[in-house]
Amino acid sequence: MADRRPLEGIRILDFTWVRSGPWATRWLAILGADIVKVEWPEPALGMFTGRLVSGNERTTPAGITPGINSGGDYSDTNPMKRSVTISARTEKGLGLLKRLVGMSDVVIENFSTGVLDSWGLGYDEMTRIKPDIVYVSMAGLGQTGRNKHYNTMGPIVQALSGLTFTSGLPDAPPAGWGWSYMDNTGGMYAVMCVLTALHHRNATGEGQWVDMSQVAAGITLTGPSILDKTVNGRNSRREYFPPGNRAVWPGGPMLNSYRGPSAAPHNSYRTKGGGYNDWCVITCLTEAEWRALVEVMGSPAWANEDRFATVTDRIRNQDELDGNIEQWTLTLEKYELAAVCQSSGVPAAPVQSNEDRVEHDPQLREQGMYTTVHHPVIGEHLTQNTPFFFSESPTSVEKSGPLCGENNMEVLVDMLGLTPQEIREGYENGTFWPKSIPLEPYLIDALEAKEAATA
Amino acid sequence: MENTRYSSGPLGNLRVLELSDVIGEWCGKLMGDLGADVVKVEPPGGAGERRIGPFYQDAPHPDRSLHFWHYNTSKRGLTLNLESEEGRRILRDLAATADVLLETYAPGYLPSLGLGYQDLRRLNPGLVMCSLTPFGQTGPWSQYRGTDLVHMAAGGQMASSGYNEEDVPDPPPIAPGGGNAWHMGSHYAYIAIMAAVCMRDVTGEGQYIDASVHSSCALTTEGAIPIYLFTKQVVRRNTGRHHSVGPSPRSQFLCSDGRYINFGALRLTADRLKVWADWMDMHDVEHDLDDPKYQEPGAVQEYQPHIMELVERFFGSVPAEVAYHEGQERGFLLGAVRSPEDTVEDPHWHDRDMFVEVEHPELGESFTYPGGSSIYPKSPWVISRRAPLVGEHNEEVLCGELGLSREDLVVLAEAGVV
Repeated sequence: MADRRPLEGIRILDFTWVRSGPWATRWLAILGADIVKVEWPEPALGMFTGRLVSGNERTTPAGITPGINSGGDYSDTNPMKRSVTISARTEKGLGLLKRLVGMSDVVIENFSTGVLDSWGLGYDEMTRIKPDIVYVSMAGLGQTGRNKHYNTMGPIVQALSGLTFTSGLPDAPPAGWGWSYMDNTGGMYAVMCVLTALHHRNATGEGQWVDMSQVAAGITLTGPSILDKTVNGRNSRREYFPPGNRAVWPGGPMLNSYRGPSAAPHNSYRTKGGGYNDWCVITCLTEAEWRALVEVMGSPAWANEDRFATVTDRIRNQDELDGNIEQWTLTLEKYELAAVCQSSGVPAAPVQSNEDRVEHDPQLREQGMYTTVHHPVIGEHLTQNTPFFFSESPTSVEKSGPLCGENNMEVLVDMLGLTPQEIREGYENGTFWPKSIPLEPYLIDALEAKEAATA
Repeated sequence: MENTRYSSGPLGNLRVLELSDVIGEWCGKLMGDLGADVVKVEPPGGAGERRIGPFYQDAPHPDRSLHFWHYNTSKRGLTLNLESEEGRRILRDLAATADVLLETYAPGYLPSLGLGYQDLRRLNPGLVMCSLTPFGQTGPWSQYRGTDLVHMAAGGQMASSGYNEEDVPDPPPIAPGGGNAWHMGSHYAYIAIMAAVCMRDVTGEGQYIDASVHSSCALTTEGAIPIYLFTKQVVRRNTGRHHSVGPSPRSQFLCSDGRYINFGALRLTADRLKVWADWMDMHDVEHDLDDPKYQEPGAVQEYQPHIMELVERFFGSVPAEVAYHEGQERGFLLGAVRSPEDTVEDPHWHDRDMFVEVEHPELGESFTYPGGSSIYPKSPWVISRRAPLVGEHNEEVLCGELGLSREDLVVLAEAGVV
């Protein structure tokens, strides 16, 4: 029992590509489901997999020739999955994909609306093959609604859902999110849909097509702001909003800015060194935390002046408050500063870059956040692990992302019962590998090994 | 246990105990909207999140926090003093029949009360218990305090978000608003809990999950970590677009109405430039894109600065919503930078019943809430009730389900237990 991953026994047919969908099946794989990732390494067919899009060549390690199997980002996003190359645009390929539907619990994709249907693999067809199939689609605007045909990517999802707007300084353009937050979070929502619908199927025997919209998911993350409008009639499109890293911008009205309680100090401050990421944050949400901070700073005279006595005083006089605090933070290195604050009960943290998290964060290190896996092309590499530990199940990443078509023999021969000869034909006629791309040597090796074993 | 009285949602057969503050209330809300019977166990007087604004009509009151309203729909509310023996006994009775317990207390607190997982599993081996805490149960930072801003700093969100020097001189790193550290933690807690529940569906056994908000945030910066892991480069912040290692093209443009639009202009190809030129003509914006030189190989890259200027000029002459719809209809990948309340006006979301009316009988009014982000045709996502008032369901749960008498309840209230 203790070796059983939570989703052992669940098979997921994975048509996802680019970022949000593969991020979803990353978690389902780590949690123990058998992910059969259907890939096609040729962009022209509209079914390519993230192996060839930007990010992949960007994260090919130095000294490795860029190619379909060289992407570090791909390996980090697709650990513990199985990869099979089947063209949905061939009759034989489509027939095999249908048989895989019949052997799966879940089908997941993040294409634009209607793509699977256009292949002849829409939900109705799936239920004919597997009546209790759970199907999760994750198009940006969803499968219904007048603009369902619009296309999105992470930054557009963030723009349309209100998330971009809520980030930045007043009187400046939106700072937005410096990455595709909604590719991560859209992926998390798809996982939630899969698990929720699976539990429903376990309880009732009934499958369903869950129509997830990534923009809608983003909208639900702005709830208090929406309610301030629908209940109180107040717009977030107003002066002094968004208030940067502060809870309330000084000089404006004392209005909650939807990040938590109104408080000061509540900001980012430069720390010793003055480098690009030499910043920390300090937040005092209670009077006790403020008094503790004053102690930590060595009770400077300014901190005991009347103009900083109460939370409303501190919010009003925040520019002076923050300036004074920064005089102190500049004397300390950011990790040291966070440690002296936190040890006195003051919520504070270093601003951590990508390098900082991997190299300098003692907490992530202790929890094994970056763990080593072996990849046949890239070699040994660190990969992001998980944010949770289960008492009865392993949930650590133990394998890199697959090579393209790495599991063709397992899926096509062992599961679907094809002969090695049929695979050889399929590699030549465009069913199991595009004619436009040379067949990878490891695919030939695996095929020959299979031929030898079955001879 | 059977508990389908509020909803036929996909989690309709689950009872969830939520002993959570601001960290995990989003996880509990998602479960409640999806049909679980979520009993929120609050300290006497109510949870601290009830003090977070904004408030209904700007009048602070524990039952009128709009923050609390949004994050606690579809839950029942019970007040319980876990520092009292009677309160602990009641919690044990509830845990004995619950399917899921979500808690966000500081590591070690519940075990110190005899309410840790080891205590509760003896009463209920099928219990799935999740502790979602700022930094997890172990490690050098496990006792550190978390706030949204603290997590956005430590998790890497701030190192990726902000401004270029030419847009804002001497810019700080920026933490996007909205309390998203709690969302990130809650999403991971949700998937961990539901994976354990799906396993329990098969094995009948529960388990304990230690989940960390910090780790959740550290996993939510897309390419930032792979870029470092595989190329050892540090990302820098850009205005309104992705972090990058080197310079990157602008993708946020000011429109004629003072609003912004997001558009990846570098995705323009020679073919698409023709469509773009026609679109500019339609709005009488001058350009030279009909020049055949733009159709030559590599021209889009070669003339990129000029094309960017045209893109900027064009958007500056069109309102953001017009540019959004007209552009999408022409196959351009773009989106208006909307404020949260702008989304309420979009008829697309009305087609999907995205915004729903929620009744507040205590005020004799109903209000528009954002509803479900996913449509579950066989088991709907429904806000079954507004957030509970302080102790609203004490009698229903304690007398109706645990069999206490109303006289008992009075004594417990007098003793400060509920």
